[in-house]
Amino acid sequence: MKLNIQIRKLNYILSAALITLLVTACEKRLDILPYQSITEDNALASESDVNVTLIGAYDGAQAAATYGGDIMVLNDLVGNNANINFTGTFAGLTDAYQTLMVSNNSFAAGTWIGAYNTINRCNNVLSALDKVTSSPAKKSSVEGQALFIRASMYFELVRLYAKTIGDGDASSNPGVPLVLTKTESVTNADYIPRASVKAVYDQVVADLTKAESLLPSSNTIYATKWAAAAQLSRVHLMLKNYAAAGDAANRVIAGSGKTLNTDFTKLWFTFINNGGANPAEYIFAMTVTAQDGTNSLNTYFGRNVGIAGTAGRSDCKIKAAHIALYETGDIRKTYFALSGGNNYTRKHLDRYGNVPIIRLAEMYLTRAEANFRNNTAVGAAPLSDINSIRTRVGLPALSSLTLDAITKERYLELAFEGHNLHEAKRLQKPVGANNWNSPKLILPIPQREMDVNKSLVQNEGY
Amino acid sequence: MIKKLLSAIVAFLLFMAVAFAQNTTVTGKVTDENGAPIVGVTVLVKGEKTGVNTDASGGFSIPNASGKTLLFSAVGYESAQATTKGGNLQVSMKTDTKSLSEVVVTGFGGSQIKRELTGNIARVKGKDIEFMPTPSVDAALQGKAAGVFVNSQSGKLGQAVTVRVRGNSSISANSQPLYVLDGVPITSQDQSTYGGDMNPLTDLNQNDIESIEVLKDASAGAIYGSRAANGVVLITTKRGKAGKTNVTLNVQSGYAEATKRLPMLNSEQYAELILEAAKYSDDQDGTPYDDPFSYTSYVKNDVMDYYSYGQWSKDPTKSYDWQDAVFTKGPYKQADLQIRGGTERTKFFSSFQHLDQTGTIIGNTLQRTTGRLNLDQKANDWLDLGVSMSLSRTANRRLPDDNAFSNPLQAVALNPMTPFIDPETGLPAGTPPGDVNIPLYYNPILTVDYGKFTQDVFRTFGNTYLKAKLVKGLTFQTEFGMDYLSQNEEGYFRSETVRNQTSAVRGAGNNSGTFITNYNTNSYFTYNLVKEKHNLSTTLGMQYQQSQAKYNSTAGTDFPSNSYQKIASAATKSGGSSSQTDFRFLSYFLRANYSFNDKYILAASGRIDASSRFGKESRQGFFPAISAGWIMTNEKFLSNINALSFLKLRASYGIVGNAEIGNFPQLGLFSGDAGYAGNAGQRPSQLRNDSLRWETTKQADFGIDFGIFNNRITGEIDYYEKKTSGLLLTVNVPATTGFTNIVRNVGKLENSGFEFVLNTQNLVGAFKWSTSFNIAFNKGKVTDIQKQIIEGGVSNMNRVEEGYNVGVFFTPEFAGVDPNNGDALFYKNTKGADGKLDRTTTKKYSEAQRIVVGDPNPDMIFGFTNNFSYKGFDLSVFFNGVRGNQNNIYGMGRYSSASMLYEDNNTADQLGRWRKAGDITNIPQVRLYSTNGSQASSRYIVDGSYIRLRSVTFGYNFDGRLLRKYKIEKLRFYVSGQNLLTFTKYPYWDPEVNADSFDSNIAKGNDFYTPPQPRTLLAGINISF
Repeated sequence: MKLNIQIRKLNYILSAALITLLVTACEKRLDILPYQSITEDNALASESDVNVTLIGAYDGAQAAATYGGDIMVLNDLVGNNANINFTGTFAGLTDAYQTLMVSNNSFAAGTWIGAYNTINRCNNVLSALDKVTSSPAKKSSVEGQALFIRASMYFELVRLYAKTIGDGDASSNPGVPLVLTKTESVTNADYIPRASVKAVYDQVVADLTKAESLLPSSNTIYATKWAAAAQLSRVHLMLKNYAAAGDAANRVIAGSGKTLNTDFTKLWFTFINNGGANPAEYIFAMTVTAQDGTNSLNTYFGRNVGIAGTAGRSDCKIKAAHIALYETGDIRKTYFALSGGNNYTRKHLDRYGNVPIIRLAEMYLTRAEANFRNNTAVGAAPLSDINSIRTRVGLPALSSLTLDAITKERYLELAFEGHNLHEAKRLQKPVGANNWNSPKLILPIPQREMDVNKSLVQNEGY
Repeated sequence: MIKKLLSAIVAFLLFMAVAFAQNTTVTGKVTDENGAPIVGVTVLVKGEKTGVNTDASGGFSIPNASGKTLLFSAVGYESAQATTKGGNLQVSMKTDTKSLSEVVVTGFGGSQIKRELTGNIARVKGKDIEFMPTPSVDAALQGKAAGVFVNSQSGKLGQAVTVRVRGNSSISANSQPLYVLDGVPITSQDQSTYGGDMNPLTDLNQNDIESIEVLKDASAGAIYGSRAANGVVLITTKRGKAGKTNVTLNVQSGYAEATKRLPMLNSEQYAELILEAAKYSDDQDGTPYDDPFSYTSYVKNDVMDYYSYGQWSKDPTKSYDWQDAVFTKGPYKQADLQIRGGTERTKFFSSFQHLDQTGTIIGNTLQRTTGRLNLDQKANDWLDLGVSMSLSRTANRRLPDDNAFSNPLQAVALNPMTPFIDPETGLPAGTPPGDVNIPLYYNPILTVDYGKFTQDVFRTFGNTYLKAKLVKGLTFQTEFGMDYLSQNEEGYFRSETVRNQTSAVRGAGNNSGTFITNYNTNSYFTYNLVKEKHNLSTTLGMQYQQSQAKYNSTAGTDFPSNSYQKIASAATKSGGSSSQTDFRFLSYFLRANYSFNDKYILAASGRIDASSRFGKESRQGFFPAISAGWIMTNEKFLSNINALSFLKLRASYGIVGNAEIGNFPQLGLFSGDAGYAGNAGQRPSQLRNDSLRWETTKQADFGIDFGIFNNRITGEIDYYEKKTSGLLLTVNVPATTGFTNIVRNVGKLENSGFEFVLNTQNLVGAFKWSTSFNIAFNKGKVTDIQKQIIEGGVSNMNRVEEGYNVGVFFTPEFAGVDPNNGDALFYKNTKGADGKLDRTTTKKYSEAQRIVVGDPNPDMIFGFTNNFSYKGFDLSVFFNGVRGNQNNIYGMGRYSSASMLYEDNNTADQLGRWRKAGDITNIPQVRLYSTNGSQASSRYIVDGSYIRLRSVTFGYNFDGRLLRKYKIEKLRFYVSGQNLLTFTKYPYWDPEVNADSFDSNIAKGNDFYTPPQPRTLLAGINISF
């Protein structure tokens, strides 16, 4: 039982040394950082950081909840039982279709959150423009793109979540909160009320006007001068500034160098038939690849119709009543796939198809309507523009024109591309059983937003 | 015992005769029943205060003891006494089987005899969960430990299990307990990329376990500081014993089946309902029924005939129960080999296991192979060292998550007139080249037939230790442990599955790897001092843990043919990723237990924790606890009451924390995952919070431990109060900021409850009957969430509301059906100026306010075990149950208990729908594509209470005398059944449910086509030699 005293002492020394070693070695080891993320202080330090943040803004716009397609799906679905038989199982969409939305509608929340998330990304880019020093043109382009995306998001928000132009007083009707600077921390100043509809539109017009002046004429798949002008023409059409709408559309037609595709049916299936490239007619589109992005128009309108690469939930069955609206001989009348006893639009069957936001045909239709309303012929006579659209789908040219003929042509040309709701509001036509200014056709301010920000007022009926 | 003692005394008398009057010093050796020496036995001369402890070989030497009575006592053994006139004394001590004498593991080398415990630690013996077909050690705790709520969630193999110790202590942070295996905190959270959460504890062979201790109160838990708020589960594996090598072989085999089938409509009933629903909708539109565009025509042609391949109009009675196609009888096979033995210097325990299990749902299998070696070596008289090492492989063919069309149980939604097999192709319905749009939804059988997702986990648990005796009573121990989890997941989906797996046009494959290296080192001094009536034991040390998790994945599409299933052959590499995340803890701890005269016990412990997870302004936390106990039966005033053999009062108070708040929640971050069209991008992803820290739980516990009639009846009564503050909440911020939330320590909640444990030996003698009963009542209440809206679960119906338990069901209240017109009604429940709710009803859903209508957390949980034995027979019957909780069946109910809103097949109870004015029913009128009562409401919140006959085991042990001829020590045959009976009012499959697609701390009790628990029947043989 006798132990060597020296060994014992050695034990003390060893164990004490071991503990000291571990302690000192360890404390610094707690300072570790994540791998897939970087801290915000290092995120916007260089021009290349700003560039990748701008890509991040496109990524935000491409999300399913925003320009990935939900914005367009909601536009087509809300109250639209005249054209679509919606059999999907997403309750948020079913409620939108039946105009039974409640304030916690998941799609209303998703689009709101997604749009403002994208806006914050744009604001981050705009906060660091001074880092873009390689060339003034590059700096202009970055600023223009961020402004274009931000304005587009605000335009969609104010159309979906607020009363439309012409329904009461736009300068007192609540629009949506306007946030124009990036968020670093959340303070009381971030709990802001809704700006007026007019204030939001003013910001959108200002941003798009500036973007049009800053952006380059060509910019691969990214926003160009013409994308900004085209979006501006839409904004002015909603605002009933027909001359400005027509002028903007004319700038696109005349300046972009783009032409109408001669074959209407070549405008879709960008992945299956076109290697993922946009047709020349697309002025702005969200690019979808197998790796990245969602085409949620495909998700809900699409279906596997036996063509490899087609897919979808088969939720939106197109009613015969809609197909009956097309004249005989109209190529667009046959642009439906009959499958399982139901018709589906062929526009959104391609699983990885790009999501067109604006295509040139719309500019012809806008210019025609603006000229017709103002009795002008900026760029071309209305009849010529309408006939450009008609003849390429195999229809005879018209010899005379009415406003109804123009809006009907617009309606059929752009069907299921996300125009139904706003077109009806603009033209003050009913949507299904609801009048154009029914509160049921306005999305609720998301309940989560009402709960967290007491300075917001809810829309009527929620 | 008496026999052994007698023989010891006889031996002693013999020695006495030889050695009489030679020396007054008595020497001897103390051994256990198997002849192995017992170290540290206190040897006292009766009536004197002097005493010695036995050494490493069980020997002792005590001077001036000749002719005096010696008292022998040791933790875990029954006391013994002997008288000697000197010489060499052999004493045998018997293991104490009564629960009060059990030794309880307390962490960091500590152990305490149960009667001296001042904290609350529930102990589950390895023996009680051995050779049971429970899937993992956490599931095995169910009903065995008071106050530990276990919900197995679903019948899928290897899936995560919910465990709550004394209620929910958190809202956003992980609420599962900390699992510590032989001193190493192990990885216990989900690591899967497919399907629901998997359970990393599945990799542990539960038959290796000697004991499981659940540290429930703060006094027991404080030594785990910031990680103890959800309780700590200490798992100790078996170790070698000196003596004869014992070899045990256990082989068992059986099968499992789903506990229940849910009655669904057959073809004729379905047709009746959907045509009635279509008729209503046509009437609303004013469309004639025979109009080609009427709902009726649509149903007849495009539903009934289309989805039956045209069969329905020919034979409307033909019906298919899709549950038959997806439920299956799953074989179960398991073999265990355990070898245990050693010498006084070297001891070993080694085990091997192979388990092969098939699920009760098609396409689900699990195989596990494990091996373990635990080795203890006495290097010399002051140094011990040892190693524990376990290797395992778990291969799991997994099912998709509940909320996937490919979840086999979603087949119940398919129409009963749809045949399983496409009559034209002879292939399962929906298989190309047949019509892929039949059945109504994707046929999940295709994913079983033409797809596969397997998860292979290779796990190494290892721990080595060195233990040095420095001076008398002082030891130093240092341990280095590792938990290495290496996981490969691989999926391939053939083109036949394209309707579900849209990327699988020409096949889709994926492959991912997860590598988690979790190192841990503990170093601590232990000092024990026994002086007269004083008994002190202290521990002081430090712990450092470092976990590194690395992930990678690849995915590909467009394969040359289905013969090529590896990504190497994919023409398109459609995805790929790698990532890493780390966390680290550095901690110091101190524990001191002091007892005086075996009556008064005082304990204190504390820990300082620092972690990479905490904000820079709150790096370190201190977690102290104190406790005290009073053994009243050792006082004179109680010593006369013979019936009362033991009574102890105890109380504890302390502070513990929850640091399972994720890695790096405190930093303001950008993430580089925001690429677009092939170009890299970044985005702001997280708001920063420099003061972010652990959640703090203060807990007080008052307890009584008692033993009556010589401890034939023992029990514990506990009352506890837990107050948790600094709850980590993802506080919602206006989405207009570009963020939806920030993580802050702001919330508060409380839990309080009673626990009762009663163990009785009802009959002793030839026919033995013992009972073990535990019951616990817990009340949880969230007291402050800063007005945040915290929702989750199916349709966000789970919610955190102040004044209620975490995750209550918050939804409008269903008011039944209007007898006049079949409309579903809801209570308005608008709060009036006087605070009262408006109880008038409305058919407008939007007018109905949401209120709390249920709670997924049980008020009461219990376990009840009865063990019987007679001669060679033994029988064990184990019930457990929960009461006072509700489940949410809206996930499936909105489609299939929904008055034919959609074309889904409906549950058979929908036949009781309203049909004509005056009908009194709770099922609204059927209306196709027109919502009538299928909105989220209390209609779908149902009672989830149950009592379940969890297991019954009946065995026969062959007579030892017969066996000895063949050198067999023990031979036992047994049959065993799990989940044999369930008593419940629950309308769907299984009340013990929690849909994996929605699972979170607050989203509990959801049923979403969730597979029920298996009913397992098996027979086994256990042989030892």
